[in-house]
Amino acid sequence: MSKVGQIFFRANSRHGLWTIPLLVAICCCAGLAAATADFVSRQNVLNLFAQAAPLILVSIGQMIVILVKGLDLSVGSVVSLTTGILSLNAPVYVTVPAAMLMAAVVGLLNGVAVTRFRVHPIIATLSIMGITQGAAMFVRPSAGGTVASEIVALVSGQLFGIYMPVIWTIVAILFGWKIVHASRFGLHLFAIGGGETAGTFGIAERRNVLAAYVLSSCFAAAAGIFLAGRIASGDPNIGTQYAVDSITAVALGGTQLAGGIGSLHGTLIGCGLLSLIANGMNLLNVSAFIQTVVKGAILLLVIALQPRKNIGL
Amino acid sequence: MTSRSSLFRAALRIPPSCIVFVVLLVTLWVLRPNMMNPAILGTFARQVVPLGIVVLGQLLVISSRSIDLSAGGIILLVNYLISSGLLYSWPLLPIVLLCLGVGLAVGLVNGLLVGKRRASAVIVTLAINIVLIGLVEYLANGKPPGDVPAEFHALYNLRFWTIPAPVMFWIALAGIMSAFLGVSVFGRFVWSIGSNPTSAHFSGVPVERTVVIAHVISGLMSAVAALVQTSSIAVGSVRFGPELVMNSIAATILGGVVFGRPAEVWGPFVGVLCFALLFVVMTTMGVQEPGKLIVQGLIILLAAIFYGLRSKSN
Repeated sequence: MSKVGQIFFRANSRHGLWTIPLLVAICCCAGLAAATADFVSRQNVLNLFAQAAPLILVSIGQMIVILVKGLDLSVGSVVSLTTGILSLNAPVYVTVPAAMLMAAVVGLLNGVAVTRFRVHPIIATLSIMGITQGAAMFVRPSAGGTVASEIVALVSGQLFGIYMPVIWTIVAILFGWKIVHASRFGLHLFAIGGGETAGTFGIAERRNVLAAYVLSSCFAAAAGIFLAGRIASGDPNIGTQYAVDSITAVALGGTQLAGGIGSLHGTLIGCGLLSLIANGMNLLNVSAFIQTVVKGAILLLVIALQPRKNIGL
Repeated sequence: MTSRSSLFRAALRIPPSCIVFVVLLVTLWVLRPNMMNPAILGTFARQVVPLGIVVLGQLLVISSRSIDLSAGGIILLVNYLISSGLLYSWPLLPIVLLCLGVGLAVGLVNGLLVGKRRASAVIVTLAINIVLIGLVEYLANGKPPGDVPAEFHALYNLRFWTIPAPVMFWIALAGIMSAFLGVSVFGRFVWSIGSNPTSAHFSGVPVERTVVIAHVISGLMSAVAALVQTSSIAVGSVRFGPELVMNSIAATILGGVVFGRPAEVWGPFVGVLCFALLFVVMTTMGVQEPGKLIVQGLIILLAAIFYGLRSKSN
């Protein structure tokens, strides 16, 4: 393959990142800036960050689980349940720890089911999703309630002249970078996802996979806190889209669903691309239903371009 | 000791659905003895016929180590086709054939992407599902669609010796599927892929083709389920909960078919009946929607853990 071909069509072996998503993202940006006057306005850029921040949070967690050959379908229901807990009539220092504790327990249940009882990740997280969604609808049957003003301020204000959604995004990225690319745990994630032999080299497979699921749920809870601050109330269905969206974003970013190959920057590009497409279609007044169709079509295309060894799940 | 452990193993071999079914039946008998007559139980069974037919496809797909999450989208699309009035002047048979064709086509797309492109089945069928749902909602444009032709409803309400026609149809379909899996070469292929895909491949089993065919059958079954579902509600609807897909997976696992287990029809069949009883028991006990979700999730998890333990002891 020619040099140009290598750059454009071959994925980096560890990161799996193609140049194509990056190019598509840049083209989207340029196209939208040209097509709509509002695109580069300060308000729209801020909206873009506010839309992307929760997706980035959920996707980082999703990527950590996918790296160890897993999948977490319960993230969306954790987001919903978190907004439900935060909208309860209680002070912040009770609701926020309660929400994080809930997320840790959900992650622990996922992890224990997958590692101890060898339940397939999809089945395990699907059933836990049902339980968590049920709990979310129990805590808050329909959208409503009020979230403490501290959380609203944490999301909508400014700090040192920087808007809060931007700060959330940066903190999420730094945190994700530390975990995935700058820690022993991150290296172990790649090793476990890469092959069957990780255990032979003294890597505690079970413990690390368990930690991956707990982290994924906690990231989802953080996204829930952000969203609760944005809408200033609780909503049992606000998280529904995040399971599919986060998988789409992670897959777009070159992370292989078979595990062991992926990167944080790839996931960020995937999130950015997905948010750009959604934002652009909103600006161009595309129907919400067509947006769903487009999202599904992108997911199909990306997945069809990721051939694997095994057939099936 | 040996006799006890072999007894334990024999107990493990019974699908959990049978145990759950007996427990639920006894619960209902204690709570509402007057419900224990064939006419009422037949009506309960009739409500889960669409689920039961989806499960017939799902068990094939799950047994060949894949999964089909697109049933909801197919049901929505078929329901829209029938109730939107687009085909109002058409006679019954072409409508039915068109709907079955839709199911076949979606199943084929799923199958080709999963089998030939080797894409992840969860993602493919999930994506197809959201594409179909988005499409139908866009076409329907938020309006509830019109009426379903009267023939459908008449057929649905038919009863033979107090047994509702849809239930008879379901039992017949399950019988055909069971015989097909037992007799045909395709059934053996599914069985061997379920046991071990690698050794199946090296034994000359066409793994790709079998997975594609399993997905096509699953799509077809979803379309058949959609026809039954549509005739049951008599008017069009744009809302079908995703719970149908989740329940179909739950019933399949409850029936003892998990990834890499040989396909078996009657275990999941009883699993679907469990759901019929479960809805009734929970409704009589006043459990609301959140409680139902939690119970369903718990059932899937426990059944899967049960099988995880069993595969570990083997």
